[in-house]
Amino acid sequence: MDSTGSADRERGAMMRAIRSWLFAAGTGFARSLIFAASALLVPILCAVLPVLAALHRFGRVWDWTNPWSWVGMLLLVAVFTLVGARPLGTFVRRLLARWSATSIDAGYRSRETDPVPVLLATGYWWNGHSYERSRRDAERDQLWRRRIGDPAYWRDVRWVLRAAITVGPVCAVPVAALVGGIVAFAHPSVLAVAVGVLLVALTLTTSPLAWRVVRPLAERWLRPQDGGVLGERVRQLEQQRLDLTAAQAAEIRRIERNLHDGAQARLVAVGLSLATAEKLMDTDPERAKVLLREAREGTSESLGELRNLVRGVNPPVLVERGLVEAIRALALDSGLNVHVDPVRRVPLEAPIEAALYFGVAELLANAAKYTPTARVDVRIRRTATTVEIEVVDDGPGGATITPGGGLDGIRRRVAAFDGTLTLASPVGGPTRSTIVIPCESS
Amino acid sequence: MRIVVAEDLFLLRGGIVGLLEAHGHEVVGTAATGPETLDALLAHRPDVAIVDVRMPPTNTDEGLVAALEARRQVPGLPVLVLSQHVEQLYARELLADQAGGVGYLLKDRVFDADQFLDALERVAAGGTALDPTVVAKLLARPAAGTRLSALTERERSVLALMAEGLSNAAIAEKLFLSEGAISKYTTTTFDKLGIHDDGAANRRVLAVLAYLNESDA
Repeated sequence: MDSTGSADRERGAMMRAIRSWLFAAGTGFARSLIFAASALLVPILCAVLPVLAALHRFGRVWDWTNPWSWVGMLLLVAVFTLVGARPLGTFVRRLLARWSATSIDAGYRSRETDPVPVLLATGYWWNGHSYERSRRDAERDQLWRRRIGDPAYWRDVRWVLRAAITVGPVCAVPVAALVGGIVAFAHPSVLAVAVGVLLVALTLTTSPLAWRVVRPLAERWLRPQDGGVLGERVRQLEQQRLDLTAAQAAEIRRIERNLHDGAQARLVAVGLSLATAEKLMDTDPERAKVLLREAREGTSESLGELRNLVRGVNPPVLVERGLVEAIRALALDSGLNVHVDPVRRVPLEAPIEAALYFGVAELLANAAKYTPTARVDVRIRRTATTVEIEVVDDGPGGATITPGGGLDGIRRRVAAFDGTLTLASPVGGPTRSTIVIPCESS
Repeated sequence: MRIVVAEDLFLLRGGIVGLLEAHGHEVVGTAATGPETLDALLAHRPDVAIVDVRMPPTNTDEGLVAALEARRQVPGLPVLVLSQHVEQLYARELLADQAGGVGYLLKDRVFDADQFLDALERVAAGGTALDPTVVAKLLARPAAGTRLSALTERERSVLALMAEGLSNAAIAEKLFLSEGAISKYTTTTFDKLGIHDDGAANRRVLAVLAYLNESDA
């Protein structure tokens, strides 16, 4: 009982294994066939003319002794490669996405990157590259420029050529073996049958595997390359843009909230006081006077709030005197013993000035917080390609850049200009913070 | 008094001129740019000038530069500088010549017409009028800090008002104390700070400011 049961089970398991193998072989065969066909399309087209010539269908359309025949063949291949590259690339990417769950981004340029054509006063349409007679022409010209100039398209072209000599032969193995087997079986000889059996066995064993060669190759050749240094730069810029947008949004929110809760609310109160005072002017002049005074104080306070807001957005001294003087003003207000060097003006772009100013403000605020009695040296250096500010205090040191902290904020702020913040703060001091922003001197 | 008003914003200039004329002063000239300010100051030699810091053509510190230049050419020319913001840095530059006749106030101070005119008259008479915000910042200076910490709360507030440019009588009125009490406070304060008090109000204030204005050595 037991032994027959286990034998049954074994047989059942074997049947299932064989069935799944056959299934895998079947689907693998189909997939290999499709990949082989897609990869060998160009070589097959290469062979079209010679084959036609050999079959004498259209007369002597191809003769290997005639150089023009070769030119014609190459021309045909080139045209088919260039026209077929994009559909073939897309086809392979789609199949891989479906069969091996590998998503390969085509990375084609999108329509959005092109400017919308504009009608000029001359009556021509300008699409960013050329003048065209009509909007349709302008858009068509744009489309072609986009397609032909697209690195993703040339990647597809290269794929077509590379696949023909890699994917093609490998994926063709199961198919070729099966065809060979069938041909062999047609010959009534023992040797032929033996060869036929071997070939069919080869088909069955290679079918589930052959098509899998496509995935690693496609990942290598069809996927947009990181582009090494350039890709890294792009990622960096994207991060900077993100930081900048986030910082900007946060800043705008802060300003809005400040205005909304501060000056705006106060001005409403002032208006109310004035309205009431107007009403009471005749009946109760004393109370009216009190209200008027309140209104005046209200305007004073809102002015104060607006002043603080302006200082946080763009410090007036920075506008009036430039970076060095603004830093001197900061130093005076910090309550620290600060020495600023040099005293002469360092002309810079306004956004860079602001970034440096707020950076130094944060560094001085830090120093004032942790080592209020320290002596602080601020050194501003302008070279041909950079501006560099060094803030050194003789405090106890041990400062670190914590994510989300004030120093991290400076780092992000200057990173928007490709600048860096370096901090050297050994325990026991001194703390040396250096902000460097690259900028060509004008 | 004969006054020159230098302010680029038309509305504000009109407002200030109106206020001054309503109080019986004569506005002998107005200016809306830095160079105009310097010309007006030198041409009219007013009893006092009201000068905005930020003016065209550069919209930076044109007004202040003009005022400083005018005072360099005519030492002690009374100038009251008005601004939307006050900076120790500018206060120091204005006080640096120690000639007196200098004021530096926030624009909002014109809301209180009496105090504003009082400050204006003080400046015209060779005194000083410093905005309380600047004085507070000056008092927070570390260079002065060591000796300032020896002062009592009351002495500090007297010193602050003095630095703003107020006379003993005015300080007494502000703090609800007698003038005698104030002069006692000033004496002890000067002793603690080591400032020589020669009695004359203007010189005394300048001494205080010079003390607070000490460069951070």
